[in-house]
Amino acid sequence: MNRLRWLLVPVVVVPVAWLLFTGLGRDPRDIPSPLVGRPLPVLAGTTLTGEQFSTVDLVGTPMLINAWASWCIPACVIEHPVLMDAARRHAGELALVGLMYQDTVSGARAFLARYGDGGWPHLLDPDGRMAVELGITGPPETFFVDAAGIVRAKNIGPLTEADLDRLLPLIGVAR
Amino acid sequence: MRRQLLLVAGAALLALAGLGVVATLRPAPAPGIDQVAAQVAAELRCPDCQGLSVAESRTAAATAIRAEIAELLADGASAEAVRQHFVDRYGAWILLDPPNPWAAWIPALVIALGLLIAGWWVLARRPRSSPAPRPAGAADAAVRRELEELDA
Repeated sequence: MNRLRWLLVPVVVVPVAWLLFTGLGRDPRDIPSPLVGRPLPVLAGTTLTGEQFSTVDLVGTPMLINAWASWCIPACVIEHPVLMDAARRHAGELALVGLMYQDTVSGARAFLARYGDGGWPHLLDPDGRMAVELGITGPPETFFVDAAGIVRAKNIGPLTEADLDRLLPLIGVAR
Repeated sequence: MRRQLLLVAGAALLALAGLGVVATLRPAPAPGIDQVAAQVAAELRCPDCQGLSVAESRTAAATAIRAEIAELLADGASAEAVRQHFVDRYGAWILLDPPNPWAAWIPALVIALGLLIAGWWVLARRPRSSPAPRPAGAADAAVRRELEELDA
C-alpha cells in the first residue's frame, strides 16, 4: 500500500500545487480589461461646468480617464489627492478626465468643493452609456490612455502613488 | 354505407396526420426584436449588482445596457453580435454562462483519471509477493517412496 501513496502525487498534490503556484502570484486588483490594447471609445458630452467636451480633442496627449462618484466613499476620497498631485506634477504632458458614475451634479460639485478641484473636466453620464462603453462595474476605475488614444492599462480601486509609478510609463509619462 | 363511413374516417385521419406533419415541419416564426432583447438581457450579468441578470435588475447600469441592446438589435445586429459587444467591453465575465475554456480538456482529464484509478486498483489487488515453496513434508516422501517401489 505504501507504493500506492505515490499515486496521490499526480492525482492530488500536483493539481493543488499548480493552483497555488498560479493563483497566489496574481494581484487581485489586476483585472484585465478587454479595452486594454484597443482605442479608447469616444467619450463626449457635457461637463460638470456645463461645457461641451470630447476625448477626441485630447488625442496626442496621454490621459487618465477616472470614473468616480461623490458617493464613492472612502475610495474616491482616498485617491483624490493622488489625482490632484498627478495633475499638478504632469501639467502639460498628461490630461485628466473625470467621468461621473451614477452621480448628481450637485453631489459632484459638493465633493470637489470639499476635497479640491484640480480643474480637469468631469463628463456627466446621465444615462450611463459612457460607463457601459468603458465596461465600468463600480468607481473608482482609471484608464491609462497613451498619446495615440490606445488604452494601455486599467486600474480598479483607489489609485495610489505606486500605481502611478507602475502605469504612467506605459503611456509614455515619466514619473 | 359502413364502408363509406370507414373511407370518410380514414380520409379524415389521413388529413389530420398531414396537417400534423405540416405543422411540425413548418419553421417557427422568427422571434421579434423585443423577445431577442429580453433573451440577451437575461444572459448578461448586471454590472453593478450581485447575482442578477440585466433583465432582472433595475439599476442604472442594467437600464443603460437594456437600452443599448435594443438599439443594437434595431440597427440590425444579431443576438450573438450584441453579446459580443458587451464581452468586448466587460470581458466574458458579463455573460452569466460564459464559455468554459477547460471544457475541451474535461474528457481527456476524465480518461486520465480513470486510467490512474484503474492502475491503482490493479496494483492494490496484486499479491504482495509470491508464496514461498512448500517444504517437502511427510506426504511427499510417501508418494516418492511409492513411485520408487513401482519403478523397481
